[in-house]
Amino acid sequence: MKKLIELHHINKSFDDQVILDDFNLYINENEFITLVGPSGCGKTTLLRIIGGLESVDEGQVIFDGKDITKLEPNERTINTVFQKYALFPHLNVYENIAFGLRLKKVNEKEIEELVKWSLKLVNLNNYEDRKIDSLSGGQQQRVAIARAIVNKPKVLLLDEPLGALDLKLRQNMQYELKELQKKLHITFIFVTHDQEEALSMSDTVVVMNSGLIQQIGTPEDIYNEPKNRFVANFIGESNIIRGKYLGDKLVEFENVVFECVDTNFEKDEICDVVIRPEDFDVVSLDKAKLIGIVTDKVFKGVHYELCVDINGKEYIVHTYEEAEINSQLGLAIDPFEIHLMKVPQIEKA
Amino acid sequence: MKKHNIILPLYIIWLIILVLIPFILMLILSFAHTDGLDFSNISFSLTNFKEIIDPVYFDAYANSIILSFLASLICLLLAYPIALTITKFKNNKLKNIILIMFILPMWSNMLLRIIGWETLFQPNSILNYFDISLNLIGSPIAVVIGMVSTYLPFMIFPIYTVLNKIDPAVIEASYDLGATKTQTLRRVIFPLSLPGIYSGITMTFLPSATNFALPERLSAGKINLLGNLINSNFGKTFDYGFGSLLSVILITIIFILTIFINRKDKDGDLLL
Repeated sequence: MKKLIELHHINKSFDDQVILDDFNLYINENEFITLVGPSGCGKTTLLRIIGGLESVDEGQVIFDGKDITKLEPNERTINTVFQKYALFPHLNVYENIAFGLRLKKVNEKEIEELVKWSLKLVNLNNYEDRKIDSLSGGQQQRVAIARAIVNKPKVLLLDEPLGALDLKLRQNMQYELKELQKKLHITFIFVTHDQEEALSMSDTVVVMNSGLIQQIGTPEDIYNEPKNRFVANFIGESNIIRGKYLGDKLVEFENVVFECVDTNFEKDEICDVVIRPEDFDVVSLDKAKLIGIVTDKVFKGVHYELCVDINGKEYIVHTYEEAEINSQLGLAIDPFEIHLMKVPQIEKA
Repeated sequence: MKKHNIILPLYIIWLIILVLIPFILMLILSFAHTDGLDFSNISFSLTNFKEIIDPVYFDAYANSIILSFLASLICLLLAYPIALTITKFKNNKLKNIILIMFILPMWSNMLLRIIGWETLFQPNSILNYFDISLNLIGSPIAVVIGMVSTYLPFMIFPIYTVLNKIDPAVIEASYDLGATKTQTLRRVIFPLSLPGIYSGITMTFLPSATNFALPERLSAGKINLLGNLINSNFGKTFDYGFGSLLSVILITIIFILTIFINRKDKDGDLLL
């Protein structure tokens, strides 16, 4: 795969507050990459730097082999879908979409064809003459996407584009955006704070916190093998337990020895053990490796969410079967469901 | 809702007594001939209407339109960059200070300001110390300068209000789609600020066209506007019929313009 965008040592501060700290990232051609992280982690700033709407304090933005760090946004072949759509209120749907083409002096006949083509892609046939304020949020979102893709950019930046939509619509749009990306063969850089959205749409997920990359990987990697506590907690729910690696794929936590699959640890090295709530198996007490008391239960639709007290620590367990509060619960974990993380040096001491 | 119910009738009574009844009286008077305030020999005819198309008055109509138009245009050309610059300031405190600087002169008496200009425009003024003699008094330029200086804030504010309300993301979207700064100004910012411009024009053009003290002082009585005509009919020749007709015409023009502005300004929050 060809590298399309390279970010080298990007530094950015606002009023002495560091937003991006020596940030490096490569983005490939035709990739659907998602920047995910809590608000204030620098993901939107990063997107704006790529789009040219924000300058960098230090560092380089390389696009298709060329340094574009100093280029104005109108000089970049990158288009953005803005968080609150940012459609032109004085223009109708047609003119909104034609805006970029008119600046490029495309002839009227071609503009008409392209506008029709892009409206078809976002499923808004025959909306050309509609006024912007007569459209619903979802429709405005589609027009915003059409307005960007009609220019056939090499990269489309999407800044939390689905944030203002209701759940059902958001899920539909997630699917449609993914389809659109496959159809158009352009790179999508998608920013969201919604980890589920990040997992379900992306080829690559970049988890960010405090201006730093916490982990880059496929959605599966990020979910199954989080690198640190932040990622484990931010992406999905996790039980994180301090444990000790005993060597030979054995790990000890809660005073019980478990088989695991990780090997890149020293003997007797302290580590963090991550167990997803759905990875616990509820078993009879005599077969259980861990026994806890159910302290709370919440029905979630597909499953029950149980709070289980094991040796005074609270664990979250997802199970299909109901359990009585205050009853004893036997738990077992398959070796491949146990994920070990390195403990940061500072915490070891 | 309760508050609404108390205020609404009061407002309607206010409108009837102070606006509607006087207007109807003026409408009636515009067909009438009286001896000043003596209504005993009142007679009605259409001669007032014949009189207004008398070429004697054309100068006043033309002056009103041309000078006020010029003044509004200059106000617009000055106000737009000023308003645009103020919106660019990130510091809200600074924004307010600059805005107040433009309001501040309005707190002094308008006549006083006009007399100030009048003295400056005389052949002999304080400017003689700098070897300058403006000697503008009596010229249309003096009247236009007076109008611009008086009504400029009324152009700045509505334009500033609309410009300030434009979503910065929309401007960024324009850059993002390939527009330069100039193209963005022409294709996005300017069209979005049109309601402010319309409202600014009403608020400078109409008072300019109807002012009578300003042209009288700065033109030394040489240039008459519609306002001067009305003033002389009511205050000097006591031709209430003809004065009323001129006033009715003026109100009609204002009314039509206001309807036009309201069409353009759907939010209704631009007129100060």
